[in-house]
Amino acid sequence: MKTTSDFPSLNERDPEGVSSDGKAYRVLVVDDSMFVTKQINQILTSEGFEVVATAADGAEGVEKYKELYPNIDIVTMDITMPRMDGITALEKIIEFDSDAKVIMVSALGKQDLVKKSLMVGAKNYIVKPLNRSQVLERVVSVCK
Amino acid sequence: MRVEYINPFVEAAFNIMQEVLQEDVVRKELYLKKTSQPVMGVAALVGLAGDVEGRVLIDMSKESAIGIASAMNGEKLSEIDELVKATITELANMVTGQAVTKLHDLGFKFDLTPPSIITGDNMQVTDLNVEALIVPLSVPQGLVEINVAIRERI
Repeated sequence: MKTTSDFPSLNERDPEGVSSDGKAYRVLVVDDSMFVTKQINQILTSEGFEVVATAADGAEGVEKYKELYPNIDIVTMDITMPRMDGITALEKIIEFDSDAKVIMVSALGKQDLVKKSLMVGAKNYIVKPLNRSQVLERVVSVCK
Repeated sequence: MRVEYINPFVEAAFNIMQEVLQEDVVRKELYLKKTSQPVMGVAALVGLAGDVEGRVLIDMSKESAIGIASAMNGEKLSEIDELVKATITELANMVTGQAVTKLHDLGFKFDLTPPSIITGDNMQVTDLNVEALIVPLSVPQGLVEINVAIRERI
């Protein structure tokens, strides 16, 4: 008898971060705050997403995207960062790959910048403080 | 200094801390300081410039900062390291972001600087020609003082 059959499955739900063919969605997290990067990482990996790289500013984010392409599914992009801001990085990523799926991460009170990013081609946005269900809902809606 | 300026910061700090710590936050009595005042040990400093100018300090003891950062990260932290500083910076970002949205809605236009974190013992802050309004907020991790010194640009 297989030992696993002794254990009832308590959670039949598939993790949100895995596509229908069983592959984890690959995420690049671009944020200058170690705290936010860690939070996004924890939320996404707990649902089966794979955070393949992180970048601490826009310029590094663009570099990593180009390096990883096409093995990258989603980018979370902070807006206010040193060296290169998130909107400029978004423009450069869209210029390189017009199908890029970029989700902006913004502090409250930056509606104009969020609007601008959506015009430039961001697929969705998340407002800080991050809330687990909001992050997952927005990221999953972009994956599907 | 007009009280309108401090209320959005206190409300924002109250809401944000309640949300990120998932704990009760108790608002204590507001007080006013005209002279130099001590800083508790870890302070996030955000500058304002525009129709109004000045600064906001989010001030707490080292122990409180470590406790708050531990709660926000969901892990036990034991010293003021890069992660604690990044976490308190983010807390200040969230609080000032929310407060500024309210103040912009009230018609005040100004920009914020990114938060700086200042740590050390026996520090004081002095704001010449503008008094500071302080509202202490009490959380299980300790006391957090929202210290605002803002004036209208002449």
